[in-house]
Amino acid sequence: MSCELLQKERTGVINPIFTCQPAGAQYASIGIRECIGIVHGGQGCVMFVRLLISQHLKESFEIASSSLHEDAAVFGACHRVEEGVDVLLMRYPDVKVIPIISTCSTEIIGDDIDGVVRKLNEELLPTKYPGREVHLIPIHTPSFVGSMVNGYDVAVRDFVKYFATKGEPNGKLNLITGWVNPGDVSALKHLLAEMEVDATVLFEIESFDSPTMPDGNHVSHGDTTIEDLQGTANAIGTLALNRYEGAKAAKYLEEKFAVPAVIGPTPVGIRNTDAFLARVKEMTGKPIPRSLVIERGIAIDALTDLVHMHLADKRVAIYANPDLAIALTEFCLDLEMKPLVVLLGDDNPFYEDDPRIKRLRENVDFPMEIITNADFWELEDRIKNRGLELDLILGHSKGRFISIDYNIPMVRVGFPTYDRAGIFRHPVVGYAGAIYLAEQMANAIFTDMEHKKNKEWILNVW
Amino acid sequence: MTRKLAIYGKGGIGKSTTTQNTAAALAHFHNKKIFIHGCDPKADSTRLILNGKPQQTLMDVLRDKGAEKITNDMVIRSGFMDIRCVESGGPEPGVGCAGRGVITAIDLMEANKAYTEDLDFVFFDVLGDVVCGGFAMPIRDGKAQEVYIVASGEMMAIYAANNICKGLTKYAKQSGVRLGGIICNSRKVDGEKEFLEEFTAAIGTKMIHFVPRDNIVQKAEFNKKTVTEFDPAANQALEYAELGRKIIENKDFVIPRPLTMDQLENMVTKYGLMD
Repeated sequence: MSCELLQKERTGVINPIFTCQPAGAQYASIGIRECIGIVHGGQGCVMFVRLLISQHLKESFEIASSSLHEDAAVFGACHRVEEGVDVLLMRYPDVKVIPIISTCSTEIIGDDIDGVVRKLNEELLPTKYPGREVHLIPIHTPSFVGSMVNGYDVAVRDFVKYFATKGEPNGKLNLITGWVNPGDVSALKHLLAEMEVDATVLFEIESFDSPTMPDGNHVSHGDTTIEDLQGTANAIGTLALNRYEGAKAAKYLEEKFAVPAVIGPTPVGIRNTDAFLARVKEMTGKPIPRSLVIERGIAIDALTDLVHMHLADKRVAIYANPDLAIALTEFCLDLEMKPLVVLLGDDNPFYEDDPRIKRLRENVDFPMEIITNADFWELEDRIKNRGLELDLILGHSKGRFISIDYNIPMVRVGFPTYDRAGIFRHPVVGYAGAIYLAEQMANAIFTDMEHKKNKEWILNVW
Repeated sequence: MTRKLAIYGKGGIGKSTTTQNTAAALAHFHNKKIFIHGCDPKADSTRLILNGKPQQTLMDVLRDKGAEKITNDMVIRSGFMDIRCVESGGPEPGVGCAGRGVITAIDLMEANKAYTEDLDFVFFDVLGDVVCGGFAMPIRDGKAQEVYIVASGEMMAIYAANNICKGLTKYAKQSGVRLGGIICNSRKVDGEKEFLEEFTAAIGTKMIHFVPRDNIVQKAEFNKKTVTEFDPAANQALEYAELGRKIIENKDFVIPRPLTMDQLENMVTKYGLMD
């Protein structure tokens, strides 16, 4: 009885857990100031992704499409990128950064976006926009390779690769957050501020929790600047929290500019947050202040109230981006819960070598399945036909129907979470995130107890 | 500096034979370090260098292991004079997208840093015409900077060469790729040399070398060898050595001016090859 790493054996996908590479590149691109990406593909490659991000954050923002049609597939469509860049520059006088994000169709027909960028740099920019600072960055994200997770990874690397410029050491720490929410960025910045660490955060998306101001509607933009990105080459080190979302950039900076790279931990839960702070301490030499010890204590106290009585032995299914899913699994184990099924929605062959997964395989003493290339049917089939009994589901909104159909309480976490209010605002990282997650899980279970009349009286006497 | 060359030409004109023989001659006579990347789904671009040893193609390995797990050792084989070879491979005729196979293969080789700095030449041996975006991959930005077209004095070979020049013109601006010349792989047709000289002059390049027809090439092929390996003293081996020397010393890199169909037809008629 232990933890197994399995791959979905069935051909085809029934209700995918992840979407495709360009989605990840788009999510990364919105974190940069004065940046509007052009997705080189059919309109849907932007429309659906933008909708998803917009539903998740409940905000408006801009991403452009080169909007391919049938003729483009036959004749090639690089000219649409050229026109698209021109239109963007005309329409948005402040735009400086334009990533050109490829998709399945444009990669298949072999559109040479690197070549187009070179051509635009030599012709359009100096003639029509002389003196204007414009950065065109080709990002290759064929949808049929990998998933949104490595699309994000590739995009972060390509942004860093394009901008990072050797200069004077800036004494800062590069913090690559991976695919997180605005609330997570605030929480991470809070931890760094408490430690008095000056950091370049990739990417600053706190502003996607936008105000509506007296002067009208607000269109959200990221806050990571070109200077921030350039300076990544001069940092004291890079801490990439997620192995699969940002580590490529960290490794690039290490190889090219000898900026030491540290990968992980994803600071979800007490143990991982402790490890995170220890890493920051190692890299910067800054001590962990008493204020954080108190925060940790508050979190421990909150968890102690819940763990043994309410969370212990609860059977959980988890699906999310891989780093988040693994970190949630570790956190659940720390809370004495039993994550029985962990679903990772793509077939990254490196999962097998992931030290965290190795540790789970070596140490877990109850039957746990980690399923790669998984879809929602992997979960539903186990519940419906194979006797899997669950007390809780942790995952994003796309799995809500399993929760509804099989009466299993669910805590929304990850991306996208459009069917509950304000999830993006609450951090899952840091000590605050640990409290939030544990209390959400407990409350979901409490509501379920009442709903099912299952020992709900306990709550009277707790 | 590694020079990266793409070899194009009409199907069946002898691109792979010429590439391998030239590569062998460059290695043997000029002491150059060579890498051949075969970009033809048929995967027959490296047979003479590897003495017929079937090479597992990159796309085959990719199908079994996944892109991330491919290492250079799995797909690169060394043959005659330590010439390193990789075959992209691709789908069976009539299915899938061979062009995408070429894109994936070259991307992977670059990501794996297979084109190492110690190399003098990397050859991309590309199938037939530049029929789609995938087959233009070798001449995209940062990849091959020089193109050589293999042709003969036959009408269709010239048509194809002209067409390839059109593709090249399109990419010349965005990738900086240039035409280094046309290699005549002689079919012993009448007025071949003159025809090619007039054609190459008209499109603004030159016939870099006239490789005469010699049965020893076929004989060597039956023995799964390049001429240089089969008989380095043979005249034909010296011809390839000469072609190699001209490539090494070549300084004429141009954006070709492809002919219109009318111009081409007139030229063909002039050389009386229509019958």
